Amino acid sequence: MSDGTDIVAAARAVATRIGKAKRLNAVLTSPAELRKSLLQQSKTVHPSGVLYGMAVAVKDNICTLEFPTTCGSKILEGYESPYEATVVARLKAAGALIAGKTNCDEFAMGSSTEHSAWGRTLHPTDKTRVPGGSSGGSAAIVAAGAVTAALGSETGGSVRQPASFCGVVGIKPTYGRVSRYGLVAFGSSLDQIGVLGRSVHDAARVLSVISGRDPKDSTCEDRDPLRLPTVPENLQGFVIGVPKEYFPADLDPGVRRACERAIRTLRELGASVREVSLPHTQYAVPTYYIVAPAEASSNLARFDGVRYGPRFDGAADVRALYRATRGEGFGEEVRRRIMVGTYVLSSGYYDAYYRKAQQVRALIAQDFRNAFDRGVDLLFTPTTPTTAFKAGEKLADPVAMYLADIFVCPANLAGLPAMSLPVGRVKGLPVGGQLIGQAFLEDEMLEAAYALERAVPGTAEA
Amino acid sequence: MSVTPDDVARIAQLAELHLDQEEMPALVGQMSRILDYVAQLGQVQVGEGAKPFVLGPDAIRCRPDEVKPWPLAFGPSEFAPVFKSGFFVVPRLGQFGDEGSDE
Repeated sequence: MSDGTDIVAAARAVATRIGKAKRLNAVLTSPAELRKSLLQQSKTVHPSGVLYGMAVAVKDNICTLEFPTTCGSKILEGYESPYEATVVARLKAAGALIAGKTNCDEFAMGSSTEHSAWGRTLHPTDKTRVPGGSSGGSAAIVAAGAVTAALGSETGGSVRQPASFCGVVGIKPTYGRVSRYGLVAFGSSLDQIGVLGRSVHDAARVLSVISGRDPKDSTCEDRDPLRLPTVPENLQGFVIGVPKEYFPADLDPGVRRACERAIRTLRELGASVREVSLPHTQYAVPTYYIVAPAEASSNLARFDGVRYGPRFDGAADVRALYRATRGEGFGEEVRRRIMVGTYVLSSGYYDAYYRKAQQVRALIAQDFRNAFDRGVDLLFTPTTPTTAFKAGEKLADPVAMYLADIFVCPANLAGLPAMSLPVGRVKGLPVGGQLIGQAFLEDEMLEAAYALERAVPGTAEA
Repeated sequence: MSVTPDDVARIAQLAELHLDQEEMPALVGQMSRILDYVAQLGQVQVGEGAKPFVLGPDAIRCRPDEVKPWPLAFGPSEFAPVFKSGFFVVPRLGQFGDEGSDE
């Protein structure tokens, strides 16, 4: 793209592709608004940026100046942020086009993108199924081929799980690798912005641009942006651990076949593969579903109709106003999590639930450290226990929905980098394989992913 | 550890959430299911003195504590009822009953 006409044509093409994918309900920005904004952006976009002309969609819980930020919630309907997230500013400075806001579970709380106030997002290849969540809109629009990459956010697997369901690449960086300034907070000890891309390289390029120190976020480590590794010829010298707890007897047989094929491929590439144990894995989901709701109940206290959001009038006093606004404005899943979080933090229950969960979390993190201390460079696991499930299948039982995150939330609890990449299909539905790395060693994880992506038949039936 | 409708009503009050009575039975059931599920952590032996997990930089950096003027969107003279020579004009203490305002 050497001159201005090319970038304008590219912007038009992106708008057209997103418009054609409208039936997925993956992008919340209207086609007309999106086209107008993309054309406007194409006139001012930085021509020497490393992402010049790349269309990147942004999850609706990341603040942008171009489009409203609603977090998929009625309580933030029409909210226009007065500032933009650091990650968005860095994408623009690198020449990317911000290609609209993507649908998500309300305030990123969900595993299916069925909990959005703006309707559910459809799976890109089977409309009866879910795309995963909470970054389901980002995953679906990348899988549909409308954009090269999209930003998502992770609190408990919300980038990797939808990436696995939709057959794209999803990366969650180390806690502290990417600035969260401008990400609407859900669980502050867990939240990270991640990237979904059509290939490892697409996602890694975007991650490299958005990573690095940011004085506006005190949890962001004082480190340089991630340097991308070269694509390795083979994986000789790599030691890859396969945790036995991630291959339980009830694992979907198709997922098991695809992952075992990927493990064979890792061996063929020269990696040394060995079984390891992470004995506290079974406690990751209950730990997560104490810590995350507790932090959410605190973070979401600000949405009360006074500081943010539309106000539901007619209340007799200010507390009645808060209750009416929050009762009306939040959806079912968000209210349920706020209730659970408030309960576990309430007097008499704090030690039994929240404190205990933080102690178990330390054991889960120690499991990972023990594996890495024994010479393992990376871990390989299935990303999810099944392929994309049917819409509505898990709505009646919240615990069944939470268990969809069983293989992804441990990395969030330990703050480690992890990613999902396609390793095969079962009855046409994608299967994701997960790599978990050591803190701030995303480059090693990406090296292995580059090699695996080239060698494994990611779109072939397992 | 199942919860009762009274527990749920109390928690809703703490969380500043209005709940309709008709949604109460479902919420009681779902909260009980979730709390029963997460209660399995009670079986985990963590040992005496086990520390809660803390992530992030060892020393959270703070911005410099500098006192800076905070620019107002419009000047004080524009929102004060009476403003004279750089001061807000208010009634003298103890004389609210008097007619007019003193300077």
